[in-house]
Amino acid sequence: HYPPGRPRLTRCRSPEKETFTCWWEPGSSDGLPTSHHLYYRKESSVEVFECPDYHSAGNNSCFFDKPHTLIWIIYNITVVASNALGKTYSESVEVDVMDIVQPHPPENANVSLMQADNNFYILVRWEPPLEADTRSGWVTIRYEIRIKRENSREESDSWESYNAGKQLEFSIYSPQPGASYLMQVRCKLDQGLWSEWSSPAFIQIPDKT
Amino acid sequence: LNDLLERASQLSEKLHSLSTSLTNDLDSHLPPVGRMMIPRPSMCHTSSLQIPNDKDQALRIPEDELLSLARSLLLAWSDPLTLLSSEASSLEHPERNTINTKTQELQDSIRSLGTGLEHLVHKMGSSSDDLSDLPFNTNSLGQDKTSQLVNFHFLLSCFRRDSHKIDSFLKVLRCRAAKRPEIC
Ligand code: NA
Ligand code: NA
Ligand code: NA
Repeated sequence: HYPPGRPRLTRCRSPEKETFTCWWEPGSSDGLPTSHHLYYRKESSVEVFECPDYHSAGNNSCFFDKPHTLIWIIYNITVVASNALGKTYSESVEVDVMDIVQPHPPENANVSLMQADNNFYILVRWEPPLEADTRSGWVTIRYEIRIKRENSREESDSWESYNAGKQLEFSIYSPQPGASYLMQVRCKLDQGLWSEWSSPAFIQIPDKT
Repeated sequence: LNDLLERASQLSEKLHSLSTSLTNDLDSHLPPVGRMMIPRPSMCHTSSLQIPNDKDQALRIPEDELLSLARSLLLAWSDPLTLLSSEASSLEHPERNTINTKTQELQDSIRSLGTGLEHLVHKMGSSSDDLSDLPFNTNSLGQDKTSQLVNFHFLLSCFRRDSHKIDSFLKVLRCRAAKRPEIC
């Protein structure tokens, strides 16, 4: 038997600039029971704290709730694996919440077929991600949508993206009669990272008005 | 007031987005040894300023104080940005021209934002003229090419963080002033 393999901090993410979670990957193990603990230290302080919540974000994670989350301050984070034969420390990672802001995707993205002046157009609508506070100004949320024609045999059909700003809807004019379209929305907070794309919504355009 | 805050927010957003993109430009060509030499963020000349470090704190701070914090930070960057602008053209970096252009743009934008925030102080009838003094006592980025690059990078990362603080504080102010906060 051996001491545990070296754990690795894989990523940290803050979905709303108010809480964050870090995840790690355990190192190799030869079957001895191994436990993992996460420790952190905040910029300009020597005091070391243990992870406040190992449960809320699932296995191999640590969740920092609002009282434990500060921004514009570096967190120095280390994971320690322990078994009966010893301890192994991960490389430590430095995190400023500002740099790990990535919201969840927008909710309830849907598409409707609209008609104006005898022409069809597509109206895409969505809602902010559940956790986003769009009222206080603490974050500024921006949306981007992308759309492409489905089941087309033409190679040239690729995603077309549109910047939707802060709006919760976007209209796309002159869809191809008879075609079907697939669309998705994503969002970002401030200058942070884009969310994943929302689950796709589909629409079939009738042949003629 | 709403218009002033709207324009100020646009400028602070531009500052943060420009400094983010500049940091990426610099990152694209920083030797690993240079990366090791970058000072800690706690060494930023503005790090002694007491600011709210989360949403709850920021929302509790009175409006004139939030404005003073944004103005103090902006004022503290006037000299360092002048230094960055004057040194950008001699930086040894393949993206030097882009970096130079964006740095000049940063300098223009902090001037406009500074003027805008002075107007806001008058409009808000804000009494607090107690800006914090955050001296910057450096007049050179260093003698050799690597130190120049490293110090340029360090100052920019400090500015990127501070521009995010300024942007966040001004947007909280803007939403408080807005009549319909649900569209903020
Ligand atoms: Na966990
Ligand atoms: Na907090
Ligand atoms: Na944004």
